[in-house]
Amino acid sequence: MPLNEWIPQMAEGCIITIKLFITVFVLSLPLGLILTFLYTTKNKAINGIVGLYILIMRGTPLLLQIFFVYFGLPYAPVIGKYLTINDRFTAGAVAFILNYAAYFAEIFRGGLLSVDKGQYEAAKVLGLNDMQTRFKIVLPQMFRISLPAVSNEAIVLIKDTALITAIGLTDLLKVTKTIVNRTTNISAFAVAALFYLVMSYVLTLVFKFLEKKFSF
Amino acid sequence: MSLMQINNLKKSFGQLEVLKDISLTVEQGDVIAILGPSGSGKSTFLRSLIDLETVDGGDIIIEDNYLCKDGKYQPAKQRRETLKKMGMVFQHFNLFPHMDIEKNLMLAPLCNKQADKAQLKKEALDTLRKVGLEEKLHEMPGNLSGGQKQRVAIARALMRKPDILLFDEPTSALDPELTGEVLNVIKDLSKEKMTMLIVTHEIGFAHEAANKIMFMDGGYVLAFGTPEEVLDRSGNARIEAFLKKVL
Ligand SMILES: Nc1ncnc2c1ncn2[C@@H]1O[C@H](COP(=O)(O)OP(=O)(O)OP(=O)(O)O)[C@@H](O)[C@H]1O
Ligand SMILES: [Mg+2]
Repeated sequence: MPLNEWIPQMAEGCIITIKLFITVFVLSLPLGLILTFLYTTKNKAINGIVGLYILIMRGTPLLLQIFFVYFGLPYAPVIGKYLTINDRFTAGAVAFILNYAAYFAEIFRGGLLSVDKGQYEAAKVLGLNDMQTRFKIVLPQMFRISLPAVSNEAIVLIKDTALITAIGLTDLLKVTKTIVNRTTNISAFAVAALFYLVMSYVLTLVFKFLEKKFSF
Repeated sequence: MSLMQINNLKKSFGQLEVLKDISLTVEQGDVIAILGPSGSGKSTFLRSLIDLETVDGGDIIIEDNYLCKDGKYQPAKQRRETLKKMGMVFQHFNLFPHMDIEKNLMLAPLCNKQADKAQLKKEALDTLRKVGLEEKLHEMPGNLSGGQKQRVAIARALMRKPDILLFDEPTSALDPELTGEVLNVIKDLSKEKMTMLIVTHEIGFAHEAANKIMFMDGGYVLAFGTPEEVLDRSGNARIEAFLKKVL
């Protein structure tokens, strides 16, 4: 099979990869933010639950979590039939989102801790209320401080999407593997590497731009 | 009636009694320099007046409104109302680093619906002009020198049109050659009869710009009076020892 036949196939695989990346990134960021808020409230029980959640998500393999969501959940007693996700993409995305939200929660928590306490004091003596302080003073600085770590996580994610192959989705990696099997020619792997590299590089550029734009 | 009345303030951090019995009357137009050795509770006292520290006992009365009475605080909403006419300037400026100078100045008055945006823009420029920094309107705080940052911080506090301004060591984080520009702004404010409480280690400035000196030591007011009374002829050994050390 000649090159001009695999490239379009691989590009199609790339679309799935990019779709997964965007879905996960866009949804896990706000979920991570919500987890950060829950983790930093004064309620001990809520802190405990979120802490445990983060521990599990970061302490077990993502691949295991993907299998659990896709193959495992349907067997859950009683509620299993409500938790069945038949669509591979959706199931994979759910696992990724739950996992990445935990990482983003930790990143944001770190960002929150680095906001100087003088900022809260200045806001208070200027008469800002808690909401105004949170949304106008604290969050923008937290995001800015978190940006390099979020950028790093985004690049890890674009490569991690390859794990979705394990539940049979035809992403870039899966397409590549099929081509190699059929043609017994390993150069498709090199092309795939190039695709991943380009995507990572584009992400790097985007985040560099954001860091510059929001520098202070 | 005085502008601010403080009676028998007490405050501990755990076992450590920082404020033991502090009383003070502040009249309109007073410029009170607060002096004292490190750890004597100057910052704690100042911060208590604007609700950044919670005292354990005593009264704080600002323009006839109780912030706290006998150590019992008013509800948050009322405290906010009482403190509307108070401003504070910090040692480390605490400007909002993610906003330009204009936004730093306008944020609080906008949030508090003090005036409409066009009016506030004009006020921001006027206030910056007052501290000599109108050309920095669209600069980010990170690009200013320490002295400029502190003048912006003063302008930001002025935007709320305070009746009383508190300063906690406004020049201590500055290189010596930059303290003058900040002290001059404070002197200008005193000419306009702004009421100010200033914690400072600049004895010369205190002598020149303040009409009253409050000397704190060990959680008490050791002396209160005119600069001459407190600095030149207190006859108090501890004050003299302190002055000898800082001069
Ligand atoms: N949040 C806090 N928790 C515990 N102890 C505190 C706290 N804030 C201040 N202290 C202690 O209270 C005492 C008085 O502190 P304060 O900052 O009011 O002194 P100060 O007169 O402003 O000193 P300096 O001239 O060094 O600024 C010090 O012993 C300090 O360590
Ligand atoms: Mg102090």
